[in-house]
Parts: sequence; C-alpha cells; structure tokens
Amino acid sequence: MVRFMAFSIRRAWHGFWKNGLMSLAATATMVLVLVLLAGLIILVTGLNATLDYVQSEVQVVAYLKDSTTQQDVIALETTLQRMPQVTQVKFVSKAQAYQDFLARHPGEADVINSLPNNPLPASLQINLSDPSNYVDVATYLNSEPGVDHVMNIQQTVEQLNTVIGVLQTGGTVLLVIVGLIVLFIVVNTIRLAVVARADEIEIMRLVGASDAFIRWPFIIEGAMVGLFGAAITNVLLLLSQGPITGFMAEYFKVLPVEASATVGPTIGLIVLGAGVGIGVLGSFLSVRSYLIR
Amino acid sequence: MAMVSPATPDFKPSQNRRPDAPDRPEDSVPTRIVLAMQGVTKSYPNGRVALRGVDLMIPEGDFVFLVGPSGAGKSTVIKLLIREELPTKGLVLLDGRDLGRLKRRDVPKVRRRIGVVFQDFKLLPNKTVRDNVGFALEVTGTPRRQIIPAVDRVLRVVGLTGQADQLPGQLSGGEQQRTAIARALVHNPRLFIADEPTGNLDPVISWEIIQLLLRINELGVTVLMATHNADVVTAVRRRVVALENGRIVRDELGAAYHRED
Repeated sequence: MVRFMAFSIRRAWHGFWKNGLMSLAATATMVLVLVLLAGLIILVTGLNATLDYVQSEVQVVAYLKDSTTQQDVIALETTLQRMPQVTQVKFVSKAQAYQDFLARHPGEADVINSLPNNPLPASLQINLSDPSNYVDVATYLNSEPGVDHVMNIQQTVEQLNTVIGVLQTGGTVLLVIVGLIVLFIVVNTIRLAVVARADEIEIMRLVGASDAFIRWPFIIEGAMVGLFGAAITNVLLLLSQGPITGFMAEYFKVLPVEASATVGPTIGLIVLGAGVGIGVLGSFLSVRSYLIR
Repeated sequence: MAMVSPATPDFKPSQNRRPDAPDRPEDSVPTRIVLAMQGVTKSYPNGRVALRGVDLMIPEGDFVFLVGPSGAGKSTVIKLLIREELPTKGLVLLDGRDLGRLKRRDVPKVRRRIGVVFQDFKLLPNKTVRDNVGFALEVTGTPRRQIIPAVDRVLRVVGLTGQADQLPGQLSGGEQQRTAIARALVHNPRLFIADEPTGNLDPVISWEIIQLLLRINELGVTVLMATHNADVVTAVRRRVVALENGRIVRDELGAAYHRED
C-alpha cells in the first residue's frame, strides 16, 4: 500500500511537471474558475450581510415632537420597555441626531448649518423581538401625544428583502450555471492532459497494470492542479482584499463590518475544497473513459 | 495489494520439453497447453465477422507463425488473447483459464502472463531503455529492489545492456523493438505474442529480431508471431497457422509461408 501510494504520488508529480504546458493550461483554467467562484461568494455574502444588518437594525422609529419633555420621554421609554414585543429602546436626542447626520453626510454640514435651528427631531429607536409585532407597538405610539409620527422600517426591510432575494436567487443560479460551464472546461482541459498520455495508459494496460495503478496518479495530478489553482487564487484574493473591502464599503454603505475580514478564511477553504474537488472529479472522469472497455 | 510473482526471467527450459523435438508436442509426453481456442467466432458490432469457428492449440514451448492476408483475422486472434476483445462464441483458454469469463479486475493479472510486442514498439519516448522495461514491473507494484536485477537480466537476453541509459529516440528501429521485447519478457510471461514485429524493420534487422525470438523460445517461452514476412517464415520452418477469411486453412509443422503442394 505504501509502495502504491509512493508510486502514485511520484508519477503524479512527474506527470505534472513533464507535461508542463498542459498542467499550466489546466491550472490557469482552474484559477479563472476559482476566482469567479470566490467573487460570486463574496457578492452573495455581502448581500446577506447587508440583509442581516438591516434586519437587526432598529425596526420602529418614533419621531418625537420638539415640545416633548424629558419626563414624557422617560415615561414612553418605560412603557415601551415593559411591552413584551420590545427588546430594546434607544433615545436619540436632537443633538445626537445632528451629530449622526454630520457623520453620515460630512459634505452637507453647510446645508444644515444654514438653518436657524436644528431641524432634526429627537427619536426613539425601538427593536422588536419579532418584526411582525410592529402593529401593536405602532398603534400604541401613535396614540401618544408626544409622538410626531412613526416610521416603519419593516416596510423598508421587506422591500430590501425582495430585492436581495432576487439578487441572491439570481446569484445562486448564475453560480450554478457558471460552475457547471467551468467544471466542463476544467474537466476537458484535464482530459486533454490525459489524452496526451493515452499511449502511456495503453502501455500500462498492456503490461497488466491494475486500474488503480492507472487511475490514482492521474487523480492525484488532478488534485495537484486544484491545489495549485487554489493557492494562486487565494494569493490573488489576499492581494485584492483591500480593494474588495473598499468596493464593499462603496456599494454596501450600510455594511458596518469589513466583509472580507470575516469572509476571508472561509472563502479560502471553499476555494481550496472546490479546486481539489474539481481537479479530482475531472481526472476521474477523464481516466474512466480509458479504463472501461 | 496483490503482488506479482517476482520477475526472474532466467528462462530455464521447461521440464516437459525435449531438446530433440521442441516443436512437436503431439508426439511428446503430455505437455501443458498454454493456449487453447475452441470454436471461436468473433463478430464485431458493425456486423463484420472476423473469426469463424477457430480451433487452435498451442502447447508449452511451441513457436507458432500466424500468417494470412490482411483482414484474415490475425489481429482479432491477438486481441482475444490479450483480452482486448471477447469472443462472440467459443472459448479462449490461457493456461486453462477462460478469458471470456474473466472478471474485469482479473484482466491485469492475466495480461502479466502474456508478453506482447507490436509493429510500432509502443515505447515511452521520455524514458530510458531501462526505465521503459522497468515500467512494466513498476506499474504492477513490483518492489524496486526486484525491478533492477530483473531489468538487467532481460536487457542481457535481448543484448541491450550497453544501451540501457539511452532514450528510444537515440536507438535504431531494431534496438527499439528489442527494448519492447525486453519489456514484454520482464514479467516472465507464459505466452509471448509478437504482432508483425518486423513490419517496420529492414530485412537484416528483421532477421536479428527473428533470431532473438527463436532464442527466447529456446529459453522455454512459448511464442506466437503474427506476420506477413514470407521469407522469414519459410526460412525458419516452424509451425505455421494460416488464416483466411476468419478460418484456419492450414496448420502445419515445419512449414513455409505458402502452401507447398
């Protein structure tokens, strides 16, 4: 068994380097595939993170009249906190709202400063244990005199949800289609590498090599193609991590986390697994057609 | 893991052989039959019938020429023997074992009992002579320490010791064929099959190859050689089996390529 393994690995290694051009072609195709895969995963992960973030955010915002007193606010807060549907209540003062606005729109400080006084209302931001409990809470808030109006973030979330759902489904469908096409390409590239050595396989069969002795070197070689492809892809991903984070920050502004930081190791593993898997599958399928007679 | 019997091609004449009559199994003491074909018919999916009711016995130590025009069925016989094809009807027995009923995973084991060489040598261009020969043992899981002496021995038999470290591209056609012969012998086969081994070689080199095959036969290996080479067959005067249209039309000892009536 040890001898068999040593033989297979040695032959795979020699096979990979002696057929350099074919190995290069297969590895390059593999890298393309894996980069595509990683890109799609990053995109879908980004969308999911956005959704999660928005969903976890404040679900009901009650804007307060400027006339509302401190006591009124405390009373409101206390009542809200006693409601079983409510998980958290946060008071945002007018001054805080002003600061938040400045932080979010740094270029527009002049606009707000040109006004005689701070136009931003104070608000209560309320988190719900279950978004569908919105109606109860909203009804209560609307009946309170200190509340100017209630904004239902839930509606926004639902709309966003629909959009993201479409994007996710589309992304997944795209991923599957691209994955299949790419699997086909990689399998064919590996097949070419195997065909290039059809005479070797023929000789092995003639001299009485068992199927395992013929198959395993090629499978290990396929795994090597996957391994190298994954390594190169991961290096590329690592190098582009900065720009990707920038991209994410640009397009998913709401996203507070550095997506690539949390997603990085997982994607690396997925890329590795997919690379080796595709390589092994490709070799297996390619050699199979030579063995079944 | 199944290991091959250690390859020790020292080619001692088998005990059943009598030095005075090596090619006449029928008047010798009971001899083992290496190859038996009984009522073998082979038709291909395209409807072509390559063999029709072929009966052929090859006893141990025999040297048989398989002759006949192109398309007579010589290649089909060889394909059946190396179990590249299965008979449509009839039995192909190698050492009493029915190749038609062989399990797929047992095919490699049977192939190790057969050495085969072709017109186009089938050598690996990027391996040396030594590695080409050793390859046959390597891919069947033979330990390295057994490969080296076995390869040295067969290279000595075919007279290529001096060329052991050359690549096939550096060799003459005859030397390439001798490399292929060495590779076919390294498993110490029960039956040595040569399919037009001189087809690509000039007459002088062809003679060298035939002499080598005769010598291998003298060392005790059963040889079946398919050929068009009438001069060689007629000169050597061994058993001749002639195929025509898928039938054996002649099976003579000490015969010429063509019928001598």
